[in-house]
Amino acid sequence: MISRREIKTHLNTPPRFDDMFLSLMAAPRLPKAMVKEIRRVVAIARKFNHSVVRPYALELDRKMQENPGFLPWDFVEKANEWGFYTMWIPKIFGGKGYSMPSLSYFMEEIGSACLAMANLIGVHYLGLASLSAAWNMKIMKRLCADVVDGEASRTPCLISLAITEPGAGTDVEEIELADRGNITCHAERVAGGYKLNGTKIFISNGHLSKWHIVIAYADLKKPSETTVSLAVKTGTPGFSFGRKERKMGQKGCPASELIFKDCFVPDELVLIDADQMSGFKRPVRESAMQMIHYVTAGTRAGVAAFAAGAARGAFEEALAFASQTRVEDKLLINHEWAQCLLAEMYKNYALSRLSYIESNYANGLYGSFRELQKKPMYYYYKLTPAGWLRKMFSSLMEKPAMTRIYRKMQMDGQTDAEILRTSGWGSLAKFAATDLGIKNCHLALEMMGQAGLRQDRRVEKILRDAKLLQIYEGTNQLNRLNLFNCLIAPDYPQAVVFDE
Amino acid sequence: MIPGQDKELRLLDRASAEFAKKELRPAREENDKYPFGPFFDAVLEKAYSLDFFNLMLPEAQGGMGRGIQSLCVILYNLCQEDASLGGIIFTHAASQQVLLSAGAESLLKPTAADTAKTSLIAFPSFNNPGEVEPAVTAYKNSGGHLLSGSVEYLVLGGIAAKALIPARIEGKPGYSFFLTDLSHPGIQKSQPVLSLGLHACPAVDITLQKVNATLVGAEGGGDRYFNAMADQMHLAAAAMAAGIMKGSFKEAFDYCKAREQGGRKIINWSEMKMILADMALRVKCAEMMISRACLSADRREKGWEPCARAANLWVCAAACGLTTDGIQLLGGVGYMKDFGQEKRFRDAAQVQSLLGIARMKKIKFIEAMMR
Repeated sequence: MISRREIKTHLNTPPRFDDMFLSLMAAPRLPKAMVKEIRRVVAIARKFNHSVVRPYALELDRKMQENPGFLPWDFVEKANEWGFYTMWIPKIFGGKGYSMPSLSYFMEEIGSACLAMANLIGVHYLGLASLSAAWNMKIMKRLCADVVDGEASRTPCLISLAITEPGAGTDVEEIELADRGNITCHAERVAGGYKLNGTKIFISNGHLSKWHIVIAYADLKKPSETTVSLAVKTGTPGFSFGRKERKMGQKGCPASELIFKDCFVPDELVLIDADQMSGFKRPVRESAMQMIHYVTAGTRAGVAAFAAGAARGAFEEALAFASQTRVEDKLLINHEWAQCLLAEMYKNYALSRLSYIESNYANGLYGSFRELQKKPMYYYYKLTPAGWLRKMFSSLMEKPAMTRIYRKMQMDGQTDAEILRTSGWGSLAKFAATDLGIKNCHLALEMMGQAGLRQDRRVEKILRDAKLLQIYEGTNQLNRLNLFNCLIAPDYPQAVVFDE
Repeated sequence: MIPGQDKELRLLDRASAEFAKKELRPAREENDKYPFGPFFDAVLEKAYSLDFFNLMLPEAQGGMGRGIQSLCVILYNLCQEDASLGGIIFTHAASQQVLLSAGAESLLKPTAADTAKTSLIAFPSFNNPGEVEPAVTAYKNSGGHLLSGSVEYLVLGGIAAKALIPARIEGKPGYSFFLTDLSHPGIQKSQPVLSLGLHACPAVDITLQKVNATLVGAEGGGDRYFNAMADQMHLAAAAMAAGIMKGSFKEAFDYCKAREQGGRKIINWSEMKMILADMALRVKCAEMMISRACLSADRREKGWEPCARAANLWVCAAACGLTTDGIQLLGGVGYMKDFGQEKRFRDAAQVQSLLGIARMKKIKFIEAMMR
């Protein structure tokens, strides 16, 4: 009926089978123990929500409205006590080594109760993802050790990512735009390191973080060719915090301004620069974009998980209201229109979840989760005692050869099609889920009337919090363009993106 | 809003637009801090002195005797800059309209000594008592009625002298309205309720215990009076939403003309043009719809009521979508308090719930057509 060659041809014709059916491809390859692990993670998140998040979420939001200068160290300390800042750090670096996909499920749970608190935990992993994108094993070991020590000593050590600048938001997330943008954060090569000058804004968890992964540029006329990724510690001379933004929502999670004035960053804290990238198989410019794709493919799925939480939180509040409130002498839940509206909201949050799960599958098959999700690797790391792993790998991590090997595997080992597939799906999940999150908040308000407007009924807070999800990690407009660029344009050579 | 050729209306249009720019815009972020910042008493009194609060009150009662179009023009202009004052004017006007519908004009006449705060009438303007049963019961006593129970989200309850309260009279069907003095010792007020939007149009929860009150109109007439008020005031809420839309569009348009991305003004990227065009279209449609519906209402043309309700439903929903885009076009800064966009996003969602549950308003709309 059909030959092997025909099968191959037909499945490689757009829309390609490999682009479409990620879950189908991924499910049989998943280690069985991952399911048990994810069940455990969700249960932990629910317990944490019950004990910590729900009792404090509204109070923290109110406190921040009253005193915008407040920093939620109390919550961060609690999350640190529960071990959440090391939970998804690999065991070889001293963490608990939970699989990366399980982080999304965790985030949905926490996000369903409070997005600001989800961000206080989740953004730390955005910092870690940016750290790991450079595959500089020595620095990864050092920073992860700080986080692990912070947990043991009960002095939380968080990591942030500093990329957005006052004149450049979208421009720093897309190499095609970088050279034309108004980028000003300059990393000047000096003896023994870089001298950093410039300002970063809207840095989530900035004031609370001990380490900051700062993206700067050695030549401001050619940022795309000269990206430098640096690890900067709070307290480094020449680095200071500026204002803390007054945001509409996610008030519990600070958005900070980071100011660098002749801040010297030594070579041992340079994660990667153009010289090091020149060793990859792709040109520097493409490698810089690959790193952006590499990080955002995972973190945008994370934002989608937050959004699924928001969509679910709004649904749960609307459902509770409908089941307790009589409208025209009948419980609202027994009005047919309300039942259909609740079904629509349920659908919205279920679709949000499916979008991040599918994106995670893409990352597991072709992206940043790939190595650790392969069954032999997964079980090796899972079953080997952490102490042994650290002993075995600790000194190896210090060797430059390890950095070279990992970079070769991770960067050069990823094909162009895999980069585009993972990034495109990250964008799809991000804008689909975040739009649905906002949609559910508005639907909840339409159902709840004046009850929905009150902070003590939660929905208004979810709406305020959720709006940020459509903006950070690239606006939803940028993500639509990225999806087009990654999943549609490759088959149309005449299509030109970001060059209207 | 289109003020047309009516000279007085054009004057009101200019005066309110100027007031909004001078009095509301400069302190918008500060005023929005309430209840964690001071209340804008001076602005409120200034607006009162300009007669924004008694526009639709008949001249015999000391008002200006204007129609709904005048109120809408004012609300539209004010809400472009800050919808909180609009919310206060709306709530007071809603109370007045209920009293007028009930033939209780005598309870309304303002005096020369009145200030905004002494003349304001608090009202649960986000609730339709016909939908969610009032939790206050009225008992007859020798001098009139005593009210006991609780009212959630009584708008202006913390600052007004009087309140219009919906209550069920024991043993009678339906509900009735009662006017009561908020300084009565039987009334307990909560702290201002922290709300999504309209922060400077504050509300409180109150509990009442044997509070003296005056019955407004007939026993059990509440639903009739509320609906008569709502027919007109749906347009006022729509005008507020339209003003918010216009403000959001203007801010986004100006920002896109100034801000660059990828070396070009944002406004020159065609997707941004598309979003701006969608916003501009919705603003124009809202302006035309409300203007025409107001004309129809003031002339009492046949079928003006469904026009008013349709305008409300469409414009308020459009405002929620538009203000979402209004933030999006500004990116991160749109989410911050430094610009008015985040406030407009919150205010639009709040205004959609004026006069009751948004979805129930749709049901009522079609039910009215079925009759």
